[in-house]
Amino acid sequence: MQLADVSSSFTERGVLRRSAVIVVFLGIVLFVLPAVLGADWIKTLTAVAIYAVVAAGLVTLYGRVGMISLGQIALLAVGTWTATRIAFAFDLPFPLLLLVTGAITCGVGVIIGLPALRLSGLYLALITLMAAGAVNVVLTTINFPNGGGGFTGRTSTPDLSGLEPVGRPGIAEGDTAYYRYTIVVCAIMFLLIALHFASKPGRAWAAIRESEPAALAAGVNIVRYKLWAFALASFTTGVAGGLLAAQLGNPTAFGFPTQDSLTLLAAALIGGIYSLWGAVIAGLFSQLAPFLFQAQWGIDPNFLLIIFGVGLLQVLLTAPRGIVVQMPQDIRNLGRLGARLYHKVSGPRGET
Amino acid sequence: MVSFALSVFGVDWVFLKPYIVLGLALGGVYALSGVGVVVLYQATGVLNLAFGAIGAAGALIAYYLVNHTSWPHWVAYLACIVFGAAVNVVYGVLLGPAFAGRDPLVKMMGTLGLALILLGVMAWRAPAGGAFVRVLQLPTTNHRYEVFGAMVTLTQLLALAFALLLTIGTTAFLRFTKLGTAMRALASDREITATLGVPVRRVELVAWLGSGIVCGGAGLLLADLFTSLDYTALTFLVISSLAAALIGRLRSLWITLAGGLAVGLLQAVVTPYASITAYRTAAPFVLAIIALLYLGRHRTVTLSRTAG
Repeated sequence: MQLADVSSSFTERGVLRRSAVIVVFLGIVLFVLPAVLGADWIKTLTAVAIYAVVAAGLVTLYGRVGMISLGQIALLAVGTWTATRIAFAFDLPFPLLLLVTGAITCGVGVIIGLPALRLSGLYLALITLMAAGAVNVVLTTINFPNGGGGFTGRTSTPDLSGLEPVGRPGIAEGDTAYYRYTIVVCAIMFLLIALHFASKPGRAWAAIRESEPAALAAGVNIVRYKLWAFALASFTTGVAGGLLAAQLGNPTAFGFPTQDSLTLLAAALIGGIYSLWGAVIAGLFSQLAPFLFQAQWGIDPNFLLIIFGVGLLQVLLTAPRGIVVQMPQDIRNLGRLGARLYHKVSGPRGET
Repeated sequence: MVSFALSVFGVDWVFLKPYIVLGLALGGVYALSGVGVVVLYQATGVLNLAFGAIGAAGALIAYYLVNHTSWPHWVAYLACIVFGAAVNVVYGVLLGPAFAGRDPLVKMMGTLGLALILLGVMAWRAPAGGAFVRVLQLPTTNHRYEVFGAMVTLTQLLALAFALLLTIGTTAFLRFTKLGTAMRALASDREITATLGVPVRRVELVAWLGSGIVCGGAGLLLADLFTSLDYTALTFLVISSLAAALIGRLRSLWITLAGGLAVGLLQAVVTPYASITAYRTAAPFVLAIIALLYLGRHRTVTLSRTAG
């Protein structure tokens, strides 16, 4: 896939325009949407933001470094579990809880990533899938903490009167306030990733993606930067897990099936694996689309699976950069076609 | 010998015997699907994530024919296998060439697309849910044998035998026939093979056809061994059965067979131990990770073609 021009997208021309677009986008998301949408929409959009951050981890790993992880949802589950456990054990301020959760998940990601770096391509993807499967088995067994003692924090006889959900930050108790809080935190995560793309690690990752031997020859410390990518993606995913823990209140192990890691990657590929906007689209696809199909339009959500499958094949075969690049191009082509048709109808003007 | 080795570790051989038998029966499932994955990977270079979905869809068709038509049952079973072959061949003809020059990862994701489509169609046409459970029972399941105090059905033995036969047959086919040699050449370099005058598309078609038959057959056996025809579970059974394939490094059919049996054995043998029994389903993943890390311990920088 030819991507030489993508890696510089954050540094070169159009920074001002780009920032303006982002500010307008955030403004709409933060202030307009909560004003016009109902409560279930806001809940869904909170999940969209959280899963968009997870997809941004995939954009980092695959889009930038060329490593596929098939275990991001398992990592999200680790983050959610960690946040829940810490929330039950200590009384940390919420931002600190997110940071600690991110750091611990980052550690887990690096522990999985370090030995996996010896493998490449298909095998790396599959070992992350195997790790995700193992994590899933462990999580379904120990389940999520419900206020018990010990490491697992789970008791079979929870004191129902004392069973508190994971606390939300004091300034964001309600669903709409928590939605805004989530958007802000997720925007910070996107900014963190974007800053990485625009600076030294981003360039090192691009070099590794294009050719590992060439990057090695150019003096890029491959192990260090690959691990860095793993660490960054795991950290942001961990923070997303913390946000999810407070969003759900009492998370369960059933919310994180292993196959979701596969479908999220499919969504990220469809959205556009080489762009952070693609991650936003992936979040919309994986969380908003089922909601729209089922609750809003009353269509069997299983059609979504078919659309996903067809979309994935289409993206892989004809549009490797996904919707985020393809859609504007298609619209432009359509516009050009319309203009040509218009000229044909209105007769040639000037030229033959 | 084995009993001595086990008794050294304080394990009671007699106590474990039925679990070992069950483990081998279960291992047959992993071995069967693992070998099926490796066969296709060897022949076409495609790691087929739709392996489970194709088999599940075929089994669903067989279920429908058995329960809603008066046709003889063998027609239904045949339909499952024919369906597997047909889907694979259609995919191979339509999309095989388009994916041919691409990275193995991209090829794998392509089959994920197929799996999602099949899963969506299955869930749409045959909604699951509630207390309604589909059961597709092969007539061979009614034949039970007692081996070392464990009950084994003929279907379980059949799965094991099928995995074994598939391994032997494919190994022999790939090594000794002209077509098999062409397939191996194709798997390692499509362009050069084409230059040598091998009818690349035709050989690929045979590979897809063969693996499709395996998909269908395995789907039929797995649907039975799984006790209920849960197509979502069957579709993503591919994740745990990949473990056996990974132990064989997607290369060796024999190690895949052994890996599948080892996974089944480990899973069954830890069952009676209360402290770890809940983690037994992690056995495939743990073994696969250990195998991958062990096999990847020599770090090599490989000059691969640009992923595309």
